[in-house]
Order: sequence, then structure tokens, then C-alpha cells
Amino acid sequence: MRFLAILLPFFASATLAAQAPSTPADSARHALNRLGYGPTPGQVDAVAREGVLRWVDRQLATQDLRDPALARREAAVAVLHTPMADMVAMHIDQTTKALKAQAQGGDSAMIRQLQMDMRQQAQSGTRDLRTLNGELQAVTLVRAATSERQLGEVLADFWTNHFNVLITKGFDRAYFADYLEHTIREHALGRFEDLLVATAMSPAMLFYLDNVQSVADNTSVAALPSRAGQRPQAVRAGQIGRGRVLTPQRNRPGIDPAVAEQIRQRQPRGLNENYARELMELHTLGVDGGYTQDDVVDVARILTGWTIDRRGDHRFQFQSAAHDRGEKVVLGRTFPAGHSMDEGRALLAMLASHPATMHHISAKLCARFVADVPPDGCIDDAVRAWQRTDGQILEVVRAIVHSQDFWATANVQAKVKSPLEFVVSAVRAVGGTPDATPRLAQQLQRLGQPLFQQSTPNGYPETQDAWVNSGALLARMNFAVALASGRMPGVQVQLDRVVPLTANQDALLDEVDRAILGGMMSQRTRETIRTEIRDLRDPRVARAMAIGLAIGGPEFQRQ
Amino acid sequence: MTISRRAFMKAGGLAMVSLGADPLFVDRAAYALREQFGSAGGKTLVCLFQRGAVDGLSMIVPAGDPWYWRDRQRIAIPKNDLVSLDGMFALHPRLASLKPLWDRGAMSIVHAVGSPSTTRSHFDAQDYMESGTPDRKSTTSGWANRYCEHAREHAETPFRAVAFGPQLPRMLSGSAPALAIDDLRAFGVRTARAEGNDRLTRAFESLYEGSATGLVASSSAEGFEAIKMLRSADPTSLAPANGAVYGRSKLAASMQQIAQLIRADLGLQIAFVDVGGWDTHVNQGADQGQLATRLDDLGGALAAFTTDLGERMRDVVVLTMSEFGRTVKENGTGGTDHGHGTAMMVIGGGVRGKQVLGTWPGLAPEARHEGRDLAVTTDFRALFSEVLTGHLGAADLNAVFPGFVPQGTLGLFG
Repeated sequence: MRFLAILLPFFASATLAAQAPSTPADSARHALNRLGYGPTPGQVDAVAREGVLRWVDRQLATQDLRDPALARREAAVAVLHTPMADMVAMHIDQTTKALKAQAQGGDSAMIRQLQMDMRQQAQSGTRDLRTLNGELQAVTLVRAATSERQLGEVLADFWTNHFNVLITKGFDRAYFADYLEHTIREHALGRFEDLLVATAMSPAMLFYLDNVQSVADNTSVAALPSRAGQRPQAVRAGQIGRGRVLTPQRNRPGIDPAVAEQIRQRQPRGLNENYARELMELHTLGVDGGYTQDDVVDVARILTGWTIDRRGDHRFQFQSAAHDRGEKVVLGRTFPAGHSMDEGRALLAMLASHPATMHHISAKLCARFVADVPPDGCIDDAVRAWQRTDGQILEVVRAIVHSQDFWATANVQAKVKSPLEFVVSAVRAVGGTPDATPRLAQQLQRLGQPLFQQSTPNGYPETQDAWVNSGALLARMNFAVALASGRMPGVQVQLDRVVPLTANQDALLDEVDRAILGGMMSQRTRETIRTEIRDLRDPRVARAMAIGLAIGGPEFQRQ
Repeated sequence: MTISRRAFMKAGGLAMVSLGADPLFVDRAAYALREQFGSAGGKTLVCLFQRGAVDGLSMIVPAGDPWYWRDRQRIAIPKNDLVSLDGMFALHPRLASLKPLWDRGAMSIVHAVGSPSTTRSHFDAQDYMESGTPDRKSTTSGWANRYCEHAREHAETPFRAVAFGPQLPRMLSGSAPALAIDDLRAFGVRTARAEGNDRLTRAFESLYEGSATGLVASSSAEGFEAIKMLRSADPTSLAPANGAVYGRSKLAASMQQIAQLIRADLGLQIAFVDVGGWDTHVNQGADQGQLATRLDDLGGALAAFTTDLGERMRDVVVLTMSEFGRTVKENGTGGTDHGHGTAMMVIGGGVRGKQVLGTWPGLAPEARHEGRDLAVTTDFRALFSEVLTGHLGAADLNAVFPGFVPQGTLGLFG
């Protein structure tokens, strides 16, 4: 019997062991690996006892899962409770200061002073954007590592990556936290169309993919809201990590000619196709989704006027004056002349339920949950669920989990973990808890997957060839050794509660296999580790070595 | 000649079978490597990215263009300080250390070079220059990685493509193996106490040999191979040669380590290093100031590197690049804003030197891009292609710069 799934719906998993190549523990570990960030110590056995499909159902009803411990931690994270408007003000303030420091002659001395001021601010409790965004990275790892709602966290990461925005790009430093909390996480488990619309109207995406700059060709500059005499106005920041801001110009007539020139250049002067293209290529239809360059242009025209109220609250604003009111044709459908924001909504609805979109997103979900090269059968199951439920994300995921491909032995332990999956699963394996600092996130950066910092709109890749290279593997080994010996900054580890100290090395290996590797240690690995720890008298040192080798070794790189 | 990775791994492993390798073994291994690269030894391309958009007009000054003086009252480099190259162009005085290279015919410059994309976003423009596909954002790999992927004639060594920094840059990202090394001295498997490193390395190696499969197996083997090669060749013990003196900057340190890898014959073909601080909107300065300080670091690091390598520079090309240039006219705050064309330097023993290449479009307002910037007359892909073919011997660049067909050559080589 090749597929567990054939039997699983009909038999309690305990009776399955004798008939299928996999044991209930194997099924439980597989589900924990793919629908979550891997097992915590003892969790494989617990889920096997509960019945893996029951656990899956509980994860799919993710909103019903209570997690008071995590809620308490989230309550203490300032960035989750800081209004976006405050972060925008901080961004403008910081970039203004940086520009002034540069303007006042100096280079390094002034900038050092500025950095000192910022440090003092941080120490005195006033937080700057860097601190807040560091907290956002930290809490993301806390959630992934500790949440009871494991599937919810995996899907939040999936959609954050699918609708990628670079947190260090100019104003996105101020917009991103709001984007993660209220655009992605609020819609990650609902209908795809709602998620798509939320991203399309988010300041973060509008800024990241330049739709803020896109106005109908021949838009009269005079018709657009004036930028004169305003509060400090941002110039689009190009350079990662810093922006430029025009200094406040209270007296319009005395404006510096260079500043006036910058304002002139800043005025949007025509169509920008960037978002329109990525909307179809990445967010919905896929690169082979059958659209043409003419479609890109007309989608961009439909979305002219979708911008940010940068004079006000920095929220979404439809700017009528910038909207192209002519007729457009997208994928053969005519959008008649004379419409305004409504045609954008109609366009997004059309794209969200387009067959190419269903296929593209389903395939991507299957690549995440099942195999780097997603099997057709699994994609078909997902697409059928999408059609049946009008794109209910959890129902699509349910169909994937219930597909034969999900449980096929060829797909078990077949995917290499991304750095994020590796770090979080390692922390979970040792029963660790990330602290509130961004130090663990910095480790993730070293492993090549800094959170929210993928610069290109396609997000981080899902396939192993992107993650497996010699330097990256060595970095994983170093991470594992540091984690197991309690030297990993940013994580609290209590190994005594995971693998009790023992002088009996066979017992130690049994425990490491059970608690850390969930019972998948190969005989060869076991022998190698045993050889390595044989002469280590101190049981503490032997335990750290065994755990470090287990987590840094080849089995743990897969899921 | 095509050498399969497996063949290389076997040869390398045999030569350096133990970590405490016999010096004779090391010597023989290095010799074997040189043999594999052919009699001329391995060629190396060093890509130096000036992030933030360097003001090409201050770096390589078009002193013979009247508009340079007219539009840059505050930031033009004083005439007396310029290091004249050919009557029309001159080096910034803080790059004077490169003049001997120019005089020896080991350096040329391409001016008015840049991207066909008109974006003035650093982020986008850097991305395009590294992906090698201007105005196409969804390219996932970098052009240098695609080169490594498709040009198989080079022996596979773990050090074929190395970026100096904590992460692989876009340019070297992709499916071909590439290493990111922040500091050569700290590369490898490390424990709290250094004396445990060898033991731990052996333990992991044995684990991966025993239980790894597929890409994880081959990549980990490369990693352990790299550690052994470093241990045996010990490049960081190589003191600067020929009286070269490196400065104390990060750039200088990286250039020194690149030179060490080259001198140790580890098969380095493409090295990447980047340096920031070029985004001079305010008070960029002339012969003194912010930009001068950055150029001082750059010139010093390049001069030390070329001195250190000495004769080996015949096998090395350093190519500088930056995402775009800056406005011709200085702005109201003594700086320059995001522009278009810039200048790139090509340094190496095999370069046809003493030339400023490319068509100079002039700085007259009507010749400027959008009325304000130095126009781009050489697509950066034309320059990069010529370096790949002329220096590394690349034959087919379709996969490296898809859809780009160079029109003629600049004349950098041959």
C-alpha cells in the first residue's frame, strides 16, 4: 500500500502501522514538519496518539485554537501596538535628521552624533524604527517557534513571501508592520480575493511596487494635490535603509531651487507598470498565465489613481485626477470608459478567480506543503477545492493535505528546509524560546534568509537549489552547535527538560533520536555520533555534542 | 576541457587526505590545480560594486568639457589637482595611486556607461545591474552565477565564486555553487574553543558522508573540501608581497583576502566585493570631503591589491561598477542627485590599457539624458560581456545576458 492517505480516512492510525510502510509516528512527524515548523520534544508521539488527522483538523480550525501564552508575549511587543502614523512620523523625523547632519558639513562626526542621539533615545525608552522593526522580526520568530497555531504561522509566512514587500525600502520601514499585521495576517486564512484586494490597497505594496507613482499619461500636474507648503514631504527613498527627506519649507517663495527641482522630479509623470506586471506575473496568473504586454499596460491604466494619502494619514487613497478614465481591455474583457475605482475592484475580482490564478497559487502551495516540483494530482485537488469554495484558503490547504501526494512516501523527508524552517524547527526541537531581541533573526540573516528583506518582488524561493550550498550548510552546522551548547544568542534553551543528563551514552542517543529527531536517526548517524562522544566524560559536553551533531547533521536539514 | 565535479573532488581529496597535510602534498595539490586550469593558470575577475551610485564625473573627470566647469561651481575638482590621463579626462586626485597602472597600460576606463533602464531607484538599478536583466525584476539569479552555471570549462572548486560579505549578493545568487565569506579567517565549522574545530569538522563530515543525499551531499562535500583546502593552503598566512600596504578599511581587508585566495591557487574565478558611501546628495566635496574620502579608500585598496599581486595581475581583472551616475549639475546643497551614466574602471595585466573607451556624449544640456544626466552610450552588459569573453574566455553569453546582443566591441582586450 503506497499511500497512507487511502487508508487514513477510514482507519484509526494505530491500526495502520502494520499495513503501511509508515508508522503513525512517521505520519505525525510529516504533518508537523509540513503544516508546522517541526515537532517540539515529545510532540510526534503526542500527535500520533491523538491521531494525525484529528490534529490536522484542529490546525485547519486554526482560529479556534487558544494560545494564551503567546497572547501574553504579543501584548508586550510595542511594535504590535504602535500606530502606523507614529511610525511614519519616526521615519520622516529620522531621515530629516540624517539629511541635516549631512548638510551641516559633515560627514562622520555629525553622523556619529546622530547615532549617539538615537542610541540614547533607545535607552531612554523612546523607540526608533529600527528597534520596532527588529521587534517585528523577533516576534515573528516567537510566533513561529511557539504558537499552537502552527499552520496559521506557516500560511502567514507563505503569504508574506508571496506578496513580498521589502521592509527596508524607504517608507516601507514605516508601513511594513501594519502590512504584516493587518494586511497579511488578517487575511491569510480567509478568501484569496480578500487577501489580494487588501494587498492592492496597502500602502506597503503601493509604495514597494511604485503604484504611488503611476498616473494617467497626460495627467495635468496642476490637477494633482499640491505638494507645496506641506509638512515635510518625503522624497522616494531609493537606497536601502535610508531615505531622503526634503527639509520643511514653510516659506514657499524662498524655496531652495534644488529642492524645487527635487519636487519637480518627484511629481509623477506617467504610467508606471511595475505593480501591474507583478500583480499578474507573481500575485495572480503566473508568468505563463496568458497575459500580454498590452494587458500589463491596461492593468496599469486601470490602477492609476490607486495611491497613498501622503499628505494625510498615509493610508490608501483613490486620486480621481490621476485616474485614466479611458476604455481598457484586459485578457479580452473590456472595461468601458468613464469608470473610476470600481473598475480596479472588478479587475482584482477577475484576476483572483481566473483559472490561471487558481492553478498558479495552488501549485505554489503544493510546492510548499508537498514537494519542490508539485505533483499534478495534488494541484488538481487544490484547484477543485478553490472552485468549490470560491478560493477559501483553508479549504484549498485541506484538499492538499487530503491528497494522496501529501502522504506519498516519496514526498516524506523529501524537502530541504529553508533557513527559516531550519532555525525555527531547531529551536522547537530543543524546546527553546526566542527572546524579544532581534538576535535570533540576525542568525537567520547569516543563514541567508533575513526576514522581510528579500529585495525582489518574487519573495524567497521554495526549492532546495536556492538554499543548499556549501557555505550555507556550514553555517547551519555552526548554528546547531551553538544552539546545543547554549551559546546561541537570542534563544533560551533548557536542555534538561528535553534530554535528561545521563552517563549512559546509549540512553543519551535514544533520547536525542526521540526528542530531537523525532525518531528518524539513521543507523549510520547513530554510529557516527556514538564514536564522536565516546571519550567525552562530562555528560553535559557529550549531550551538547550529540544534539549539535543531530541538528547540524543531514537528517535534520530535510523535512 | 571539461572537468567533472566528481573528478575534481576525488583529486583534491586524495592530495589533501589529512588535515595536517604534509607541505609537499599541499604543493603538489596546488600544482595539480594549476595544471587543471591550463598552463596560463586560473584567470580571476574581481567585481567591485560601488553601491549608492558613484559620481562618475568626479571619479573620472571630463576636464576638457566646458559644461563640467560651468555646472559644478562648488564641487568641480580644482584643475591643478587633477591627475591628467589623456587631455580630455583626468583622475580624481585621491585616485592618483592608480596613475602608475594607467601609465603601465594596465588600466582603462569606460565612461558614459550604465543601464538602459531609466530608473533612478538605487534598489531597482542595483538589482538590474546584478541580475543582468534591466527592467526585468523577476530574474532570480545573478549574471555572474549564470556564467558559472553555463561555463563548465572551469574546474569546479569550492572557491570558484566567492563574495566577500555576510551574504551572497544578487550577482552571485543562483544554482551554481558560490561562497559568501565575511572573513576568510573565520570560515568553517567553529566551536567555542578553537582546538575543538578539527574534531567537530571531522564529525560533521563523517555524518554527511554517511547519511546525506542529493544536493545536500554534494554541497556539504564541497564545504568540507573548502575547509581542507583553506587549512592546507593557509592563504591568510600570506603576507602582502612587493611591499604592498593595505589600509584598515573593510574594503582593503576584503581586497587583501581576495589577493590571498588568488596567490594560494585555490581556483578563484569570480570574486565579488562591495563598498558603499557614494550617495552624495549633500556636501560631496571636491578634492576634499566625503567623496574624496571614499575614493581615497578605493584607490588605496586597488593600489595595494595590484602591488601585492604583482606579476599575477596578468591573470586578474578588476572591474568596478555602480548602479548609475549622478546629475551633471550640482544641487543646492553642494551635492549631486541620482543620474544616469557613470564611469567604470577595468584594471588588469591583460587589459589594453591607457584608454578611455566608449562614446563620450558630452555634457551639453541637449546631449544629456532627460536634460540633466550624463547619457549612457555603453550598456553595462556590453562591458561585462567583453570582460567575460576577453578575460575569462567565455564563448556563449546568451544565458548570462539573455536577449542582449553586443554591437561591436569596446576594444578592452587583444
